[in-house]
Amino acid sequence: MTRADHLLLLIAICSLPLLYAQFWQQQGTASHIQVQAGNAAPVTAPLAADRTLHVHGPLGDSVIEVSKGRARFFSSPCAGQACIHSGWLQAAGDMAACLPNRISLQIVGARPRFDTINF
Amino acid sequence: MTLVRLPAILLLAIVAAACGNNGKSYHDQFFAFGTLIDVTFYDTEPNLAEQASETIAGELQTLHRQWHAWQPGQLTATNALLEQLQPFRGDPAVLPVIREANRLARLSGDLFNPTIGKLVTLWGFHDNALPIGTLPDSQAIAALVAQAPAAADVVIRDGMVSNSNPAVQYDLGAFAKGYAIDRIMERLRALGIENAILNAGGDLRAIGRHGNRPWRVGIRHPRQEGILGSIEIEGDASIFTSGDYERFFEVDGTRYHHIIDPRSGYPADTVISVTVIHGSAATADAAATALFVAGPDHWTRVARSMGVDLVMLVDTGGVVHMTPGMQQRIRFEPGAAPELRISEPLS
Repeated sequence: MTRADHLLLLIAICSLPLLYAQFWQQQGTASHIQVQAGNAAPVTAPLAADRTLHVHGPLGDSVIEVSKGRARFFSSPCAGQACIHSGWLQAAGDMAACLPNRISLQIVGARPRFDTINF
Repeated sequence: MTLVRLPAILLLAIVAAACGNNGKSYHDQFFAFGTLIDVTFYDTEPNLAEQASETIAGELQTLHRQWHAWQPGQLTATNALLEQLQPFRGDPAVLPVIREANRLARLSGDLFNPTIGKLVTLWGFHDNALPIGTLPDSQAIAALVAQAPAAADVVIRDGMVSNSNPAVQYDLGAFAKGYAIDRIMERLRALGIENAILNAGGDLRAIGRHGNRPWRVGIRHPRQEGILGSIEIEGDASIFTSGDYERFFEVDGTRYHHIIDPRSGYPADTVISVTVIHGSAATADAAATALFVAGPDHWTRVARSMGVDLVMLVDTGGVVHMTPGMQQRIRFEPGAAPELRISEPLS
């Protein structure tokens, strides 16, 4: 083998993790939450760390709970409570929103199973 | 060529193709039109994607102001004129959307009825905050139902509008989102965008595809956490769902939601959700409401009349009714396994 062959082989071997991530990693693997309040820039936080987030909106604070790799709206000052009824979100691409309080919660991660969710 | 060179080059080519396919997606999310807008473009130049996203936000804000059912704008001004029962020149900002809503209302046998704004107000859904613990006066509901406001009461000719029913007040809540999405998709195509999903509060239209595969859309379960099934879209299709879980309040343990049956004046109570796939988002939007009101015994007749043949209806018993076409399109999640009732083909 020439030196060029060695280099080519090394690059090819180093690229294997990328190939794994693209083709073999489980679809929908969630890693972070993305929270957006109004049209401000979204904030992300890891799903692995349990926490409670207080997010301020025009009606007051919506409380988002992250626990055991899942996330949900725990409480919100809206009347309809549709965000609460959305329950726990855990797959990449899942999302819920408190429209009156203009706050959205989305699960993000590698290779989401779906490009968008209809509800 | 040595023995290692060819496999290594092949491997690198596969990696390059895989990574290339993964890196061309643009995603944006913002609040507009009273809901959360979620935009995805594929294979679109970043500058064009940003410009398109701004176009969508601007257009939706304009339409929201013009078509809002209770905040002052062109639609509320039109409603005020309708109440006077005198002919008037229609506002071009609302005339086309009203004309199309009237057409679909007639096709639905008035089960999609955009003229029941007064009923919606009575139920308290003309407010960002829903009523808690109170129901509207039953006599007031009965009086409005007896007046039977309908699209046929409004005649539009040469830009002039006349109305013969004082109970008519337009509320485009079951239609405006679909009509707006159709308009915006036309703008996106004019900008040169060929692969996109525009999702407005869970209802969407998708064009093109995601690189070398179709778009994948998850349908959320109407009663449980997670996904009920999924649908792939390639080309151009809208998916709209009307559900009793979207806007509702509870009194003494009974749920009162926002989809009002114009025949009774009360929320339609035989269905949990209806999902419609159609090329036109406006038609899908109106049909989802009409079929929800029609219920499990009559939805096929209304669907045929409205020209929709991809329908899934979940009744209050959890039974899934659907057309053969929808059965071919939807893939239920493992473990969902609902009881199915498949209709006759509708077209």
